[in-house]
Amino acid sequence: MRAGILRGAVMTLLLAIVLVPIYWMVAASFKSNKEITQDATLYPHAPSFDNYLHLFSQKQFGSYLTNSLVVTCVSVVLALVVGSLGAYAIARFHLKYRLERKVGLSLLTLRIVPPVVILIPVYLLMLDLKLLDSWLGLIITYTAFNITFCVWMMESFFREIPVDLEEAAMVDGDSRFNAFRRIALPLAAPGLAATAIFAVIVTFNEFLFALALTATPRAMTMPRGTATLIGRIDTDWASMSAAGVIGALPIVIFALLVQRHLVRGLTLGAVK
Amino acid sequence: VSEAAKLEGRFKRRERLQGAGFDLALPYLLLAPCVLIVLAVLVYPLWDGLRASTMLYRYGKPVAAVGFDNYLQLWSDPQFLNSLWVTVRFVFFSVAIETVLGLALALFCLREFRGIRLLRTILIVPMVITPVVVAIVFRLIYASDAGMFTAFSESMGGGEVQILGDPTKAFIGLVALDVWEWTPLMFLILLAGLQTLPQEPFEAARVDGAGPWRSFVDLTLPMLRPVLAIAIVLRTIDAFGTFDQVFVLTHGGPGEATKLVSIYGYDTSFKFQQTGYAAALFVTIGLIILAFALAAVRMLRRAGPA
Repeated sequence: MRAGILRGAVMTLLLAIVLVPIYWMVAASFKSNKEITQDATLYPHAPSFDNYLHLFSQKQFGSYLTNSLVVTCVSVVLALVVGSLGAYAIARFHLKYRLERKVGLSLLTLRIVPPVVILIPVYLLMLDLKLLDSWLGLIITYTAFNITFCVWMMESFFREIPVDLEEAAMVDGDSRFNAFRRIALPLAAPGLAATAIFAVIVTFNEFLFALALTATPRAMTMPRGTATLIGRIDTDWASMSAAGVIGALPIVIFALLVQRHLVRGLTLGAVK
Repeated sequence: VSEAAKLEGRFKRRERLQGAGFDLALPYLLLAPCVLIVLAVLVYPLWDGLRASTMLYRYGKPVAAVGFDNYLQLWSDPQFLNSLWVTVRFVFFSVAIETVLGLALALFCLREFRGIRLLRTILIVPMVITPVVVAIVFRLIYASDAGMFTAFSESMGGGEVQILGDPTKAFIGLVALDVWEWTPLMFLILLAGLQTLPQEPFEAARVDGAGPWRSFVDLTLPMLRPVLAIAIVLRTIDAFGTFDQVFVLTHGGPGEATKLVSIYGYDTSFKFQQTGYAAALFVTIGLIILAFALAAVRMLRRAGPA
């Protein structure tokens, strides 16, 4: 009985620590700037959607949202296709000089290097290619980052599928590629889903490269657009909190819908 | 059958699987697109970054080759050394607190009880929210005019609470943000690890009269060590590259109290246009992290499956 009460108390405390900060931002997004800074109310006394309307009518949040969706979807799909093919080759084939192993290890090493290390050269590359401030520049960059992750994840999923199934399909007359397409790929579908989910979250949330590579609402993504509201001296708290809510909402809903598949991606496949 | 023969049998089987004719080219065709993209977008920039790091830039244009001067200059640059020290402290405190809290929480949640699914769902939220938004959430807590702390303090008759204006408090505030955001990840990894531990040793220990503390120290910790180590290494590497949250929360201030290397490097490059120097800085950071990762992997291998 006492253990039960202790558990309840700890649970309540944890939920409060996670939720109260988020509540504070959501509440602020329904307040006016005057109510936020001068009255310091604990809940919105005259709730209104003005802050949200303002973001879409005055601050181009519609464009940011479109840019984010396009860039995220295209780069994740591209990386999944290209990455799964590569991962399959690494998991199943035995090449000269153990080439497939070397490729796999190099991709993993690249994965460990934090992206910030190549920020400057990628910026210079996009400057040369005249791809700064464009969807394409972001898509190319994010696809490459996602590929290293997809290969690593999908390789482990393909390895879990017994080879015998593909062998049987080939004995029955399938070509090597068809054995992959008809047998291995469908069996790896849950892995594909887990990989896609994680890649979507990371790509949607990416800020550093969006900051360096985009400059106008033409290509700015949601996090990048939100950061434009952050002034050094006068802070527009009302707009900022509304932007925070809009920026986080799509990805939080998405993550909660697919939470079962999340953990493996977050831990880079370290724990299954 | 000996291990070697078994291994050879597996290779033979793999070779048979590869087929003949067009199928022989297949693995190369499968690998080509991902290798080409990675070479063009990740490896080439990496090499280009190395080249840029040996150049002197003026107003964003290379003007002279200076060899390793940029690298040498880093180690006598007080701002770089300070940012490195801030980063090391930030990583150390964040990861240490997250590990202890995450482990405690995982042990607490090990036995199924009502509400645990709700708790796991809610705990996912901090780590999937856009980091920029996490920083906004915490600015709204810390701000002296609009902040939650100030609001609570005023509703109880106190005055404004200053956090981001004070070097020590701002640093603690940044660590608190990181702990809020990433303790759930530690918790999820460690919980998954705990759930795979065998039950028998614990039962045997209980029969022998060992208390919960003894069985934690003698059984749980040693058996959990591989998972614990992986979780700490992953978090450390990730925390070392932290940028978004600091950029929005404090941009390194007040003074240089929260200026992580990533922020210093970004400013050096994009604000002050010292591209070559910043490239050298980022290469150095990359090497530090890679060395750490390799050392960790080697240590894990030597320890073997505990």
